[in-house]
Amino acid sequence: MMNEDQVKEIIQRWRNTQEDDLKPEDYQQFKTLGSASLSEGESQQLLKFIQDEKNQVIVKSMGCVILAPLLNEVVKKAKGLDQYQAAITHLTRTCRPNELLDCMLEIIEGIDPGAISETILALLPHLQSVLLRLDEGKAACVGSTLSALQKQLSRLPVPYTEQQEEADEYGLCRCSAALTVFTEPFVEEVKRADGSCAATAEDEELKIELLKFCMRSLREPLLEAELKHDRRSPLWLFAVEIMVTLSAIKEPLPELLFFSSLRKNILMDNNQFTEARACLAYLLFVQLITIDNFPAVFSHVFILQCNMEYISQLLSSKKESHLLKGLALFTKSLERVQDNSLPVSLLDLKSFYSVTQNLRRVLTDCPIQHLRESGLQVFQVFINKLDAEAKHKFFRCMLKTSNHAGIESYIIKNIRNQFELSMKWGNANEWFLGTEFISLMTLVLCLPQGAQTDLLSSMDKVMESLNLLRYVLIRDEELRTNEDVWEELCRIKEEYLKMLRVCISISRAYYSSELKALREDQKLKAKEARDAARPTKLVKSITVRKEKVSNMSPEVQHQVLQSALVTFDLMESLIVRIEEITEEKRNKLN
Amino acid sequence: MTTDQDLPMDHQSATALFAAKGIDVTTNKDQGVIKVIKRAGVDGDRPMIGDKVMVHYTGKLVTGKKFDCSRERKEPFCFHVGKGQVLRAWDIAVLSMQRGEVCTLLCKPEYAYGAAGNPDKIPPSSSVVFELELIKFEGEVLTGDGGIVRRIKVKGEGYTNPNDGSIVNVHLEGRCGDRLFDCRDVSFIVSQAEDKSIPLGVDRAMDKMQKGECCLLYLKPKYGFGSEGKPEYKIGPDKDIVYEITLKDFQRAKDSWEMDLKEKLDLSAEVKSKGNQYFKAGRYYQAVIQYQRIISWLEIEYGTGDMQQKKIQDYILTSHLNLALCFLRLKEFTQAVDNCNKVIELDENNEKALYRRGEARLRRNEFSLALADFQQVLQVNSANRAARAQISICQSKIKEHHEKDKKTYANMFQKFAERDAKTGKTKRRRDDSARTSFNGEVSIKQRRRSQECPS
Repeated sequence: MMNEDQVKEIIQRWRNTQEDDLKPEDYQQFKTLGSASLSEGESQQLLKFIQDEKNQVIVKSMGCVILAPLLNEVVKKAKGLDQYQAAITHLTRTCRPNELLDCMLEIIEGIDPGAISETILALLPHLQSVLLRLDEGKAACVGSTLSALQKQLSRLPVPYTEQQEEADEYGLCRCSAALTVFTEPFVEEVKRADGSCAATAEDEELKIELLKFCMRSLREPLLEAELKHDRRSPLWLFAVEIMVTLSAIKEPLPELLFFSSLRKNILMDNNQFTEARACLAYLLFVQLITIDNFPAVFSHVFILQCNMEYISQLLSSKKESHLLKGLALFTKSLERVQDNSLPVSLLDLKSFYSVTQNLRRVLTDCPIQHLRESGLQVFQVFINKLDAEAKHKFFRCMLKTSNHAGIESYIIKNIRNQFELSMKWGNANEWFLGTEFISLMTLVLCLPQGAQTDLLSSMDKVMESLNLLRYVLIRDEELRTNEDVWEELCRIKEEYLKMLRVCISISRAYYSSELKALREDQKLKAKEARDAARPTKLVKSITVRKEKVSNMSPEVQHQVLQSALVTFDLMESLIVRIEEITEEKRNKLN
Repeated sequence: MTTDQDLPMDHQSATALFAAKGIDVTTNKDQGVIKVIKRAGVDGDRPMIGDKVMVHYTGKLVTGKKFDCSRERKEPFCFHVGKGQVLRAWDIAVLSMQRGEVCTLLCKPEYAYGAAGNPDKIPPSSSVVFELELIKFEGEVLTGDGGIVRRIKVKGEGYTNPNDGSIVNVHLEGRCGDRLFDCRDVSFIVSQAEDKSIPLGVDRAMDKMQKGECCLLYLKPKYGFGSEGKPEYKIGPDKDIVYEITLKDFQRAKDSWEMDLKEKLDLSAEVKSKGNQYFKAGRYYQAVIQYQRIISWLEIEYGTGDMQQKKIQDYILTSHLNLALCFLRLKEFTQAVDNCNKVIELDENNEKALYRRGEARLRRNEFSLALADFQQVLQVNSANRAARAQISICQSKIKEHHEKDKKTYANMFQKFAERDAKTGKTKRRRDDSARTSFNGEVSIKQRRRSQECPS
C-alpha cells in the first residue's frame, strides 16, 4: 500500500504528463487507487479528486477505468450513494463518449446474473447521456447498446400472473419502463428529422435501430406476457409504448404486418420476425392498441388472410401465453367476417391449412382445459364462416387428417347440421345434398381398419355416423330425387353396416372375455388377501392388451369394460333402428 | 385539395349531388359507387389489377364526420388493387382512376362497411364518402428478388390457382424489346415448363394465376433465359423479357393431404428422375423445384413397417442431397448447408452430405468448419481422395487467414485510434484475397464437378 505522499506524487506526475504519454501501467494504477478509495469508503474524497479542476485532463483520459467499480457501489446501494452517482455523472460528462460507451457495453456484457435489473437500472440514465454526447456513428451505437441490453433482459423470467407482475421480483417491469425513458430522446430525434424533410442516412439508420428494438421487445418480453386491457399493468404500458414508438418513427403497420414478405432485413431470423409480428397483430387487433391510427379501409377477409400466418405461428407453440394470443387473434379476425362467406380457395393457402392443423393439435393434445375449450369455440366459428363448398372441403380434409375420433365426431355433427340446413327451402346446394354429398358420406361411413377397427376408441365417430345415417334416411325425399346418388348412398350404407356388425361381434367377444378374465383375477386377489398371513407370491400382472386400461385400477377397468359392452349394445340398437327405417320407407314406397 | 366546403350534410342531398355530377363506376351500374373527378390525372395512365398503388385518402360519413385519413398519419396508403385487400368500392374506383387523379366517391354500404359497420367509427348500414388521390402505381413483384413483376390485364375467375404438377392450358406471347419471339397455344405441367421451352419465370407465376386471367410478366434474366440466352428464339445473354400469358384452363394436381402414401411414393419416383434430368441439363432451379416437391410430400409421412419407412427416408435423404448439390451449383451456399444438415440429422455419417457441406462452408470462408467436415469424410471413408485435396486447401486457407489477422492486429494501439476507418478497409482486403484464391482453384473444382451427379 502506498502512503499519501506517494499518491500525491503520482498524481502530480500525471498532471505533468501529456495525455499521449500515459502508459497502460498508469491506467492500471489509476484503477487500483480508485478502487482502493472506494473500498475504504472514501467516496467523498474520490468525488473531490474527480471534480478538481486541476485533474480534468487525467480524468478525461483515464476516468473510464473506475466506472465499473463506481457502478458496482451504486448497485450495492452502498453508503454514499449520492457521491457515487455524482462521480459517475461527472465522468460521463468529462470522458470521451466513445470510450465511455465501450466501458459501459463491457459492463453490460459481463453483468452479474444475480443483479441484471439493478445494474441496468443504475446504468441506463448515464448510458443515455453518453449516447447523446456522440456525434457520428450514434445510430449504430444506440443499436448495439439496445441489443446488448435486451440480450441481458431476455434472461429474466417474464412475470405471468398479476401478483408476479406487481411484485416484479426480477425487475423486468421496472427495466421495461426504464427502457422507454431511455429511448425517448432518440425517438424524438427521428421524429424531428422526419418533420424537417431533410432526413440523413444517419437518421434513417437510427430509425431502423429503433424498429429493431421494437421488434425484439414484441417478441421478448411481450409475447410471453399476459396482457389485459382492463388492467394497465407495467407490461401493458410497455406494449403501448412500443406501439406508440412504431407509429412515432413512421413505420407503417400495414407494411409491417401485411406486405412484409419483400421487406428489408432487420436482422432477425424468419421465425423470430414472424413471432414479433404475431405479437404486433395481437396488440393491434385484440388489445386494440393504436387501432385508431390503423387504416380502416382493409377488407376483413384480407386481414384474416394475413393474420392466419401469425395465428399459425402462435398455435404451433406449446406455451400457454402464445396459445392464448393465437386463439384470441383467430377469434377476433373471424369476428368481422360474414358467416358462410369464406371461399374454398382460401383453404388452398398454406397458412389456412397449418392453422387448422395446429388448432386440431390444441384440441386433441393440449393439457390445459380452458385452451381446449376456447379452441373448440373458435373451431366452430371458423366452420361457420366457410361457404358451403369450403365447408365440404374442410370436412373432408379433417376427416382424412385428424386421426382422432373426437374431432371426427364433431365434424360429422357439423355435416348433419349442414345437411339439415340444405333441406330448408332456398338453401339447397350440391355440397350437402347431391353428388358431392356422397364423397363426404364415403369418408364418414368408413372403418379404416375394417373389422380390426378398435371400436372403443373410435366409438364417438361410429355413434355420430350412425346418428347421421339415421337422420339422412328419415329425411330422404330430396336425396331420392337423384337416383344415382341414392343408390350409391344405399350401397355405402349397406357395406358400412355389414362391416360394423362384424366389428361389433368381434369386439364384444373380446371385451366379454376380458371382463371375465378380470373377474377371475379379482377372485384370485381376494383369495390371496385372505391368505395374507402366509408369505405371498407375486400375482401375475393383469393382461389387458391396451396400456391405457392396464394402468387403471381393477374397479375402473371393470367399469370401462362394462361400458364398452353397453356401447356395443347401443350401436347395435341404432343399426336395428336404421334397418327398420329402411324397411318402413321401402314399404311406403311400394 | 379539400372538399369540405362542398360536402353535403345529409344522405339524400349527398346522393343527389353525386348523381348530378358523378359517374357510376360499378360494373352492374347499381349506383353503388359514384365518382366525381376533382382533378383529372394523366390521360390513359391507369393502374392494372394487382398493381401496388399508393394513394392519399380521407374517409367521412355523409354527415361530414371524418373517420379515417391517411394525411393525418402523414404517410400515403399502399395496397394491391383489385385483389380484395380493401373495401369493394376502392378496388372498383381506383382501377378507374388515372395517375395523379383526385376524386370523391360516394359508396353504398354494400360496397363499404356493410350492415355491420365498424364499431366506434361507422354506424351500421351507412353510406360513406372518400376523397382519393392516386399518387402512383407499379406492377406486382412476385418474388423476393424482384425478378418477376406481374401486371394483370384481365382478372381470372374464382380463387383457385394451378399448383405444382397441374396441367395448364395457356396462350403465350413472348417479347424481347419490341420483337415478338414466341406466340403459341401450349399446354404444360407446372414445374416442368422447361420441357416446352418456357422460362422459369412463367412457370413460377402460374400458381398466382386464376382461370381466365391474362397478364403481363416482366422477367429478369434469372427467370428468363439467363446468361446463356436462347438461340432458338434469337435471344442473347442476360436479356429482360416480357410474356403475355392467358391461362385458358387448368387441372389441379392433388394436394399432399389428398394423396395416400403409395401415390406419393409412385409420384416421387417420377419427380425424382425429372429432377435428375434437369440437373444433368444444368437447369438447377428447375431441378430444385422437383426435389422440393418430394420433400413436401414425404416430410411428414410415417410409413407402416420398416420397408416403407426405409423407402420414405431414402427419398428424403436423396432429395436433400440433390438439393445441396443444386444449391452448390447455384452458389446458394447457405441453402446448401441447410440441406446437408437435414441429411446429417438423419444419418450422421453420410459421406456425400459431409463432403458437400464442407464444400459449401469452404465457399462461405468458414475454413475450420469446412476442414472438420472433410476430416469427418475421411473418417467415414479413408479412400476419399477428393476430401484429402480439400483438406489441404482448407489448411492453406486457414494459414493465409491467420497471417492476415496478424497483420491486421499488429500495432494494435495505433490501429485502435483509427479503428473505424481501418475495419472497413481490412474487410474489403480480406474479401479480395478470397476472391482471387477462388479463381486459382477453379481447375480443381471443374475436375471434380464432372464426377458429381445427383443420386
